[in-house]
Amino acid sequence: MTNKPTACFLATAFALVALAAPALAQNPGIDYIGYGWETGGLLPSEAGDELVVAAVATGADPVFQVDFGVDELTFHMYGMTSGGEVPLGGGAVMVNYSGGFLDIYRDPAKNADWGVNPPNAVAPATFVDGALAFRGEFTSLTFYYAADGSGAYEGALNGLDGEVIDDVCANCAYTWGGSFTLAAGAQIPDGYHVQIDGMLELDGSVANEDSTWGGVKALYGN
Amino acid sequence: MKARITIWLTVAIVASLPLAAQAQQLFDFLGQADLPDGVGDALTLHGVVVDPAPAATPVPLDFADFEYTLVVTDLLLDVDGSPQQYSGGTLVLYEDASTAADHADPSTFTDGTAVLVGAITFLERTMFTATLGTVSGSVDWTGGAMVGLIAPQDLDGWLFFSGVNAREEQVEPGNDEVWDGKVEPHDPIVENAIMNWGELKRRF
Repeated sequence: MTNKPTACFLATAFALVALAAPALAQNPGIDYIGYGWETGGLLPSEAGDELVVAAVATGADPVFQVDFGVDELTFHMYGMTSGGEVPLGGGAVMVNYSGGFLDIYRDPAKNADWGVNPPNAVAPATFVDGALAFRGEFTSLTFYYAADGSGAYEGALNGLDGEVIDDVCANCAYTWGGSFTLAAGAQIPDGYHVQIDGMLELDGSVANEDSTWGGVKALYGN
Repeated sequence: MKARITIWLTVAIVASLPLAAQAQQLFDFLGQADLPDGVGDALTLHGVVVDPAPAATPVPLDFADFEYTLVVTDLLLDVDGSPQQYSGGTLVLYEDASTAADHADPSTFTDGTAVLVGAITFLERTMFTATLGTVSGSVDWTGGAMVGLIAPQDLDGWLFFSGVNAREEQVEPGNDEVWDGKVEPHDPIVENAIMNWGELKRRF
């Protein structure tokens, strides 16, 4: 665990700007969209393939006080290893991934660019620049696909690092969303295999819309 | 001298012109769905549309000055099961600068200007677990203040995709599920260009 600045410093350094925005859900969360690629392609997902996702936040609960006019939040999910497809019947499949991390970066450059045929000069590079806001490790991650190539995913994470936390928090984050492949007709940049649209949520109630990143940290006893 | 008769035709020509490759285009939304009680009943969805930057919206939206909401009504459940099959719904994209969307008051999603109105031709909802699922469907745009910005050949067959989550931590009172999704064309579209006959000739 790296030496962490104090909560007071982090609260100041995070450019606290109140935004007039509705809460995204009952839990504080960040909405994101992005694209992923898997070694060996998708679908099928073969055992041992690695899935990588690059995404941008399109909204954040007011408790985070993120000013999207100043910063972008980018997501980089990586190191997820496919366990192969499990048929569910009716042409649907389930893919469990082992390992992997979800990083969120806060970056005033606002330069996120998926490009084509990743990895490339901009992906994931433009999704991993800036300050590390959150790093979580997946304790579970499962993708599901229906026969038409549309699907969904969900995963649970431990918090490991980043501005929002001072210490490891177990099972403190949850991410889910829709996943859509070329077979479903989704608009996907060349070289990418799946389009995702999801949410990252932090457990705990949103008690105070005036909370700062420090307040979010307090949810985990930090 | 050969008589030259010049006939000027000033005609509003609606054309989609090939332009450079464009960024991905979508209307990205996060909403709450109220599921039907059974076959023949209707699903409703109230969502907020967000700026998808660096992706783009298919028609220009001003997120700095307006809030955009997406509302689905009258989407009838035709076949129950897995997947569920729906049809007959209306999807409206609203632009509003006065009231913030609030799931406690659905009317805050339907005020303002209807910038795009569409017919949902079909929609399927598939649940993989008790709380996680997916939605896919198709929308034909039929009206709204901005429908003229979409070339006629690009109005039909837009894709409606969404993840579905029914965890109680996600769902607002009075609703059944959170839908996090998008409405997008199959391929990026170009803005409908209106030009006169002379301009069109010069391009070709």
